[in-house]
Amino acid sequence: MKKYLVIIACVALVTWSCKPEDDAQRLLDQFVVSTTYDNTAHFSGYATYSMSTDTIGFISNKSNDTIKTQRDIDYPRPVLQKVEQNLNEKGYTRVAKNQNPDLRINVYVINDFNIYQSVSYNNYYYPSYYGYGYGYGGGYYGYPNVSTYSTNTGSLVVEILDLRNITPDNKVKVLWSAYMGDVYSSINLVQQSQDAIDQAFIQSPYIGK
Amino acid sequence: MRTIKFILILVAFAAAPALAQESYLYFSWDYTQPLTNKSWISGGTARGAKAGVRKFIGQERRFSAGVDFNWNYLQEYKPTETVQTSTGAFTTDYFNNIASIALVASGQYYFPLGNKEHFFPYAGLGMGANRNRYSQSYNIYQDSETKYGFLVRPEAGILVRLGGRRRWGAMAAVHYDYSTNKNATYDYNSYSAVGFQLGVMIWQW
Repeated sequence: MKKYLVIIACVALVTWSCKPEDDAQRLLDQFVVSTTYDNTAHFSGYATYSMSTDTIGFISNKSNDTIKTQRDIDYPRPVLQKVEQNLNEKGYTRVAKNQNPDLRINVYVINDFNIYQSVSYNNYYYPSYYGYGYGYGGGYYGYPNVSTYSTNTGSLVVEILDLRNITPDNKVKVLWSAYMGDVYSSINLVQQSQDAIDQAFIQSPYIGK
Repeated sequence: MRTIKFILILVAFAAAPALAQESYLYFSWDYTQPLTNKSWISGGTARGAKAGVRKFIGQERRFSAGVDFNWNYLQEYKPTETVQTSTGAFTTDYFNNIASIALVASGQYYFPLGNKEHFFPYAGLGMGANRNRYSQSYNIYQDSETKYGFLVRPEAGILVRLGGRRRWGAMAAVHYDYSTNKNATYDYNSYSAVGFQLGVMIWQW
């Protein structure tokens, strides 16, 4: 009896000492916010910007959609309003597209959907009585096990484009970009997106009049 | 986990011939507390175990030599922080993780105590290889790197035979691990830790 108790204790110990999982709830309740900027740009030299009101871009490798509107999903408007609020607080003025703005604000979601398949083989060993050269120790790879799994990840992206210095060949420079994610694993998508946008501007103190 | 199973099987095979002689096999729970690089992970972990086989040398049972294998998982949550770079910034909360395994050859000296049948205090030294997988998890993402190092492990402990004729016993030990394992990406230099182990053992004599 004691022997079995010791064995059970050992098995319990092996199980307990296995790799702990990360606390997903703790990690998913806020987005990772990454910002990059053109450090030659003088953000204080710009005054006006334009942006859409209820449409954001959507770039996906599994869908032909190129935009998401407020009618499709209750997401674009609160996100765009948060971007607008931050830009206004930085001293910029929103104008219509036809009023020759200095900056253009792009907001879009990148969706990266991937399907993976892995194949593994069970290694069968035939006893010697089969007599076809498969003695003990001879291996035969049996039917494969195919595992299929998918990942669906996405980032919310905000970009500030320089409309004042468009090149002769119509190229527009990206002055600032913020990548925030993962939008598909979020716990509260709208709130986390808004918090991430706030954070993106907080960690970019060079933006402002 | 697959690596751990493989090494455990390897140790079990190594144990088979040794158990035919005067030897013991042990399996213990291992608590580990890092002593350096505490900005990366400062807290200890109870998620660890140590197993091994040791063969006595000589009739007096004053010396033994064997193989020890251990694994530990260290993990620490880091609250949200912003890292500034030359081209921007990065904000997230994250977990730092180290999955550490080591395989060492060790030798022990047993101090005579009482009738030399029940209690065997010992001091030992092990040397071998250490593999650490350093990883950082943030949101759904993870970065990781695996590094190897040379490990030295002084150890002191006691074996307790629960009865004169019984094969089962208990053991307790404290060990210090120093490894040359380092990781430049995470600015982690020379892994070192102290461990406390408590476990069971099977005697063979």
